[in-house]
Amino acid sequence: MTTDRGARFWRRPGAGAEGRRRFIPVFILVGLGAFIALLNPTFLTPSNLITVVLQASILSIVAIGQTYVILTAGIDLSVGSLVALGGALSAGLAVKAGLGTYPAILLTLLVGVGLGAVSGLLVVKGHIPPFVATLAMMAIARGLTLVYTQGRPIAGLGADFTFLGTGDILGIPMPVWIMAVVAVLAALLLTQTRFGLYVRAIGGGGEETVRLAGVRPGVIKLLVYMLSGFMATLGGVLLAARLWSAQPNAGIGLELDAIAAAVLGGASLFGGIGGVGGTLIGALLIGVLSNGMNLLEIPSYYQQVVKGMVFVLAVLLDFATRRRPTP
Amino acid sequence: MASEATAPPNSPKLPSSPPPVSEATPLLEMRGIAKAFPGVQALSDVSFTLHAGEIHALVGENGAGKSTLMNILTGAVPKDAGTILLRGQPVEITDPRRAIELGIAIIHQELTLIPHLTVAQNIYLGREPHGRLPGTVDWATLNRQAEDLLARLGLDLRPTTPVAELSIAQRQMVEVAKALSLNADIIAMDEPTSALSEREVETLFGFIRQLRRQGVGLIYISHRIAEVFALADRVTVLRDGRHVGTASVQDVDEAQIINWMVGRTLSELYPKTSRPQAEVVLKVEGLRRDNSLHDISFELHRGEILGLAGLVGAGRTHVVRALFGVDPVDGGTIWLEGRPVRITSPQEAIRLGIGLVPEDRKAQGLFLGMAVRQNITMTRLHDLSRLGVIDRRRQDGLARQYVEELRIRTPGLGQRVRALSGGNQQKVVIARWLTLNPKVLLLDEPTRGIDVGAKVEIYALMSELAARGVGILMISSELPEILGVCDRILVMRGGRLVGEFDRAEATQDAIMTLATGGTRS
Amino acid sequence: MKRQRSFLPVILLIAGLILAGCAPAAPPAAPTQPPAEATPTVAPAPAGEITLGLALSTLNNPFFVTLKEGAEKEAAAQGVKLIVVDAQDDPAKQAASIEDLISKKVSALLINPTDADAIVPSIQKANAAGIPVFTIDRGASGGEIVSHIASDNVAGGRMAAEFLCQAIGGKGNVVELQGIAGTSAARDRGQGFNEWMKANCPGATIVASQTADFNRAKGLQVFENILQAQPEIAGVFAHNDEMILGAIQAAEAAGRTGIVFVGFDAIDDAVKAVEEGKLAATVAQQPAEMGRLGVAMAVKHLKGEKVEPFIGVPLSLVTK
Repeated sequence: MTTDRGARFWRRPGAGAEGRRRFIPVFILVGLGAFIALLNPTFLTPSNLITVVLQASILSIVAIGQTYVILTAGIDLSVGSLVALGGALSAGLAVKAGLGTYPAILLTLLVGVGLGAVSGLLVVKGHIPPFVATLAMMAIARGLTLVYTQGRPIAGLGADFTFLGTGDILGIPMPVWIMAVVAVLAALLLTQTRFGLYVRAIGGGGEETVRLAGVRPGVIKLLVYMLSGFMATLGGVLLAARLWSAQPNAGIGLELDAIAAAVLGGASLFGGIGGVGGTLIGALLIGVLSNGMNLLEIPSYYQQVVKGMVFVLAVLLDFATRRRPTP
Repeated sequence: MASEATAPPNSPKLPSSPPPVSEATPLLEMRGIAKAFPGVQALSDVSFTLHAGEIHALVGENGAGKSTLMNILTGAVPKDAGTILLRGQPVEITDPRRAIELGIAIIHQELTLIPHLTVAQNIYLGREPHGRLPGTVDWATLNRQAEDLLARLGLDLRPTTPVAELSIAQRQMVEVAKALSLNADIIAMDEPTSALSEREVETLFGFIRQLRRQGVGLIYISHRIAEVFALADRVTVLRDGRHVGTASVQDVDEAQIINWMVGRTLSELYPKTSRPQAEVVLKVEGLRRDNSLHDISFELHRGEILGLAGLVGAGRTHVVRALFGVDPVDGGTIWLEGRPVRITSPQEAIRLGIGLVPEDRKAQGLFLGMAVRQNITMTRLHDLSRLGVIDRRRQDGLARQYVEELRIRTPGLGQRVRALSGGNQQKVVIARWLTLNPKVLLLDEPTRGIDVGAKVEIYALMSELAARGVGILMISSELPEILGVCDRILVMRGGRLVGEFDRAEATQDAIMTLATGGTRS
Repeated sequence: MKRQRSFLPVILLIAGLILAGCAPAAPPAAPTQPPAEATPTVAPAPAGEITLGLALSTLNNPFFVTLKEGAEKEAAAQGVKLIVVDAQDDPAKQAASIEDLISKKVSALLINPTDADAIVPSIQKANAAGIPVFTIDRGASGGEIVSHIASDNVAGGRMAAEFLCQAIGGKGNVVELQGIAGTSAARDRGQGFNEWMKANCPGATIVASQTADFNRAKGLQVFENILQAQPEIAGVFAHNDEMILGAIQAAEAAGRTGIVFVGFDAIDDAVKAVEEGKLAATVAQQPAEMGRLGVAMAVKHLKGEKVEPFIGVPLSLVTK
């Protein structure tokens, strides 16, 4: 191993303009954090910073799955519904079916992978555009959740279940630990494996090239949707653990936050460009923004306006720096 | 994961001297190849041979069958008849994968590299060396392999550079490196210089010559005859799906090849009937724009066809874009019919009576998914509608008038433009401008990608428009075309006008000398 | 590249201006009390230090907006600071914003939970941070709550039953349209109504009790079916106004008259319907009073006074 590998983990080799661009989300995050800290020093207290990361952890996990899909120039709109289903199913299996926490969670994650596979098959075999296929899955998963819960929250989770959401080790909340492990694994998968390379290759018009290189792009895409389904249901399990109950209407609109996190982190919706690190920054940016606005006591109606404007500004900045001089 | 590639690190065989293949056994021999598509006999009885260490140019007009022949060679299209021999052995090339296995690679105009991956990742895609853990890639070894390969090819590229940061020429070289890493010894290049600057062309040619020294057989597809003479050992000409001739480049001259390609003489090709009038319709003085245009001044007369010659990147397109208000200018004055005008937007240009037929008609000039009817009348919809509702009868009337006048071959006004041939598409673009009765028409490479028959019709049309008093400024990279069609020729280099010729005194050599800024044999 | 360098500060500046523009201008150091609000009798000593956090389930519903306004008015009157956060009916968002309020070290939390179970971890966090918690309107199923401030829905149900019984002359068929099963509002309102009817209105029979999910369209649909099944209906009580307005539409469409309709909540449409004589009565919650009481009880608790574990907010009957 050369020292090259360490650098590669964070950015693509031969950085150049592309590489510099990848640090822009970091600049925005630091700038925003500094600005909030200036107005309210509470922001920088360790407990508040942990809170921010905790709040961003579930979104981060879901958004990492989304990033993989976006890298293949796809999109997964079903993740919000899969979060609800993940929570409901794991809680229901653990509480109502009495399966025990870990078997229930394991089974739930398998269902998530399975539903992701359905989306993936619709895209790969059915040649349905990802937007449409996952939109359908979004409705199906939400419907299944409502059917399974009969529209009612499921409470009464055991202590080992809720520990995953509200417990901590060494003062760091469990969701943050889980997010960290997931992020490291996802980053390694993306940067160090053939699978990761092919995921990055398929987006941005490389599908035919990949096919000619003897790799079946359909398989890669299928796996990507399965991964996204896994991540979304894992997020759902953690959300239920955090709220000590599974909410049938959990995760509504979360798919958009997940997409936003990926895009804020520098991912291109045309595929090929993006990474786990960037998406984490994007999710943190969203977390910092809402935490900061609460700390600064911005009235709730304005918060949404500010959020939208910061989104647009961040993406505009990204585009502005991505633009190359015309030949 | 999905890759079945498990081969140990590849070691492409790159002989440093020509392989011991005797002159008698060609590397590749294609005999009596025939192929019919519904309604078209694309190839009939075409033969082609390629030796190791040879650059064999394959030329012909669009539709002559070059692409079909290459598609058969690379397994993209099955042949109807004929045999293919590799080193004397008959082979069946059933699909592109098989062609790669046999060592045959084609570098298309549309490159297949993945821009955001690195050079090394692109070269060895699907064949990455394994890391210690299952599924992982040993990046260090991958980069070392790529570095070795690039070094042996004499390419000064870093394996870790993303392809997006390379020039088009460099990308083509990476494509070639990829082909060679797959042990290809037959490489076909399809119009590799169409998007290159002059310097890049030189670099690419140097690289191709080095490959020849290493014993690779190269098929070089082009319609630029000058390149054929600069690079190739032999040339084969196809016309209308037939083999017209094969010759060593020493034995033929340009006129001979053109004659083979078009099958008719120059006077037939360029019908010229118009005469410029005395009145100046467009006058440009001191036009400049940061580093793309410097002090551009010229006059265009009513009824004149003015040619703008120069190499790709000389700033010709910038001139017409500036005149059409697409790009802002930093200075200079434009007079239209003697009045100074400021053209700040295409809308303004259209209002003043200036039309632009852009270089890339598919992306910039046409609504491919829409019908001929809409494409022709698009800029006149305002006059054709009442209260915002389009009067279909008047729309059809206008569209039909131009379809007939320009002899646009279409099954009907409802035909989607996408399905028309290149020549007819171009006529649709021109028809749209004619509906506005322009005073000045700017044509940027109006015959690119159009077959010979349609070219002649476009030339005739230009001549007819000029006779009606329209001033035409035409950009073309094809010197015979410029010489044949234009009344006067301006030459550009590096964003400046460097010369002007009258129709009578212009020669290809003179223009080329000015355009390249040097003396050229 | 030139563009890249000049763009970042501009964006940060704009973002900064947006944030700064939205932040309340009043510096916390100088609590400028309105002069009219001179409160010499109550010792204002701790009041200036008090910051209350109010976490509402939603601000897309006029009821909670009114509640918020009542709370704000009382906070101003008491001279305490009030920070309002809105969960947009998302339990996860509510958990996050309560964490933010805990980070800010508010003196007490007034929580209107989006869900009784999902709020529990947040309440426990506040408990752990030593911040007293009050619940408003909706309860929580765990954690330490100083006091629950809500409409006395059981009393409201009784109030509706008493009015309905009188209006139909003590006899006839009565229909009950229930709210979303399992919600405390549906449970309590139904309980009060049914208990009173059973005990005090022996002449009336409840012929149908069906849920219409607090929803007007459902109310219409459910009551259409009931109208088919029941040729004679003297009165209807619905657990909220949306459902009763749906039922009125169904009756009008079917041409059935002479039915006494009683709703709950006194939303604007219902009050209008009462004025038009279509709706006989609606039980009015008093959200402003609820908000007022929430702030008042929190301040009272923080001053060391005793607060009852349940504060019933009085209801009123709106009739013509």
